[in-house]
Amino acid sequence: MTQTYLIAERLVEITSLFPAVHEHCREYRAEGEPELIVRTTPEDIEREREISLREDAIENRPGRDYPDSYLETLAVYRHIAERMPAWDTLLIHGSALALDGAAYLFAAPSGTGKSTHARLWREYLGDRVTMVNDDKPLVRIRGGGAVIFGTPWNGKHRLGENIAVPLRAVCFIERAQENRIRPVTAAAAYPELLRQVYRPADAAMMAGTLRLLDALCAAASFWRLECNMDIEAARIACEAMKGQANETQE
Amino acid sequence: MKLKSEFIAHRTGDESFLVPAGGSAFSGVVKGNAVLGEILARLQTDTTPEAIVKGLLEIYDADEAVIARDVDRALGELRRIGALDE
Repeated sequence: MTQTYLIAERLVEITSLFPAVHEHCREYRAEGEPELIVRTTPEDIEREREISLREDAIENRPGRDYPDSYLETLAVYRHIAERMPAWDTLLIHGSALALDGAAYLFAAPSGTGKSTHARLWREYLGDRVTMVNDDKPLVRIRGGGAVIFGTPWNGKHRLGENIAVPLRAVCFIERAQENRIRPVTAAAAYPELLRQVYRPADAAMMAGTLRLLDALCAAASFWRLECNMDIEAARIACEAMKGQANETQE
Repeated sequence: MKLKSEFIAHRTGDESFLVPAGGSAFSGVVKGNAVLGEILARLQTDTTPEAIVKGLLEIYDADEAVIARDVDRALGELRRIGALDE
């Protein structure tokens, strides 16, 4: 089955072995001459299974046995993410939301509570918050600015919209008893970003990824949030990051 | 010896990084100072520990033994993560 989708403003033609990926991506359907053609193979699926089992072993949890159709959706995104640096675009693991026309990306190792913190923002701010992507957004860095895109790969709860929003801030989350947020320098942010960015297998694309991270460091502000799961965490994070942005604009 | 092609050396600000492309057995990041950056720069092409030390002595006003120790330590770490072709 073959269908074309618009992912981060790039037309991607996907030919799959199973129909699931097309259902997964249906809100991103588009027409036009593809700029990237993705054709998955059984080897792609096996590779995803191996990667998944390896990650389970690293996380010290039982190996999860995913259906081939699901693994194929991962393989498709891997193909896309491999190519994206050529278009000044990176996949960054994190939960992204939009508030008043600007996006905020929460990044942290799996299990830290990115999605939980994003949920606190939705509880605190209600309809003013739109989820951009709760798991694997794409970020394009160009002309001194960064834009974050919703994608179909938006986490197990499928939280996200097919939207593009200027990225204002990246917030690294750590669990703590008390809530505290402070700005971090680009130099401190860089290694953290390296941990969360998708690393292409192609060396040239990897080098491009590192250059794009440099540009991202100049295009957004960076914060470290120590937080618990109380809604107060959302309040202090929002006030700090939004307040700083307003001061910068003035 | 030289860096394997799948390992990308990168400098940002005062810091130097060595990052493997995706799929490498080593999935971490090596982070260091400008001296590491100079060592990595020299490993882009085939070289020797002695040539690296000589090159660094032209830049840094430091004791040769100290430079040699730093180079040896860096090469040991690069060897450990499988970043060197030798």
